[in-house]
Amino acid sequence: MNIERDENGGFVFSEVEPPLVALFLAIPSSADPEGSQAAADRLFPAPTAKDPGINEEWAEYVRPELREAFENAATTVEADLEPMVTGGEGWTIPLDHVDVWLNTLNQARLVLAAKFDVGEEDMNHTAPYPPESERGMAISQIHVYGLLQECLIQGLE
Amino acid sequence: MNETQTETKTKTALDVPWNVVVHNDPVNLMSYVTMVFRRVFGYSKEKAEQHMMEVHQKGRSVVWSGGRERAELYVQQLHGYLLLATMERSE
Repeated sequence: MNIERDENGGFVFSEVEPPLVALFLAIPSSADPEGSQAAADRLFPAPTAKDPGINEEWAEYVRPELREAFENAATTVEADLEPMVTGGEGWTIPLDHVDVWLNTLNQARLVLAAKFDVGEEDMNHTAPYPPESERGMAISQIHVYGLLQECLIQGLE
Repeated sequence: MNETQTETKTKTALDVPWNVVVHNDPVNLMSYVTMVFRRVFGYSKEKAEQHMMEVHQKGRSVVWSGGRERAELYVQQLHGYLLLATMERSE
């Protein structure tokens, strides 16, 4: 896979290997917490540990706004990836989409970690995992998405 | 309780500052957390990294203290960036 910057500062990805294409196309669906209470709890944590009144107000007013923002970000990412759905070997992240990409990649990493109970040892590569298992695949996804995040963050500096 | 006592108690409760606390999360990247602290609080790279390291090593860092409304706004922004953040009354 090659990564270059275009004249507007966007990130251009080309010659993406087929296994990576599959992983990148899975970003938006991986960011969906549907069906996992642990994932939903992680994406929408309570704002206080001891104040149920504030937490209830938060759930009513703030959480829907966050949910909408997260879903919009994932929709943008899905649209940017469209060229690869139709058989292309790359895609472009326009500079003004980098923030929603960072957001969606983070959503996906956190949702996968919550769904598959991924912890510190897994993240530090100190716990062995069979890469062919569903959990092993999820850990690989988390690491690949992290590399992409790192690349985007460095590119912004 | 007379009026003066009530007023004093209310004023004290309102005056207590709130801490915005960020908690450790094994998934969020260090570089990402540092970037978020710089963006949300306008911290220098050095100060943002200090807070990030405190979160990483001690499990939590008080990243800001002040009035409740502002604390809520900061926690909302941090949740928007998917950091584990809470607010608590300063002791």
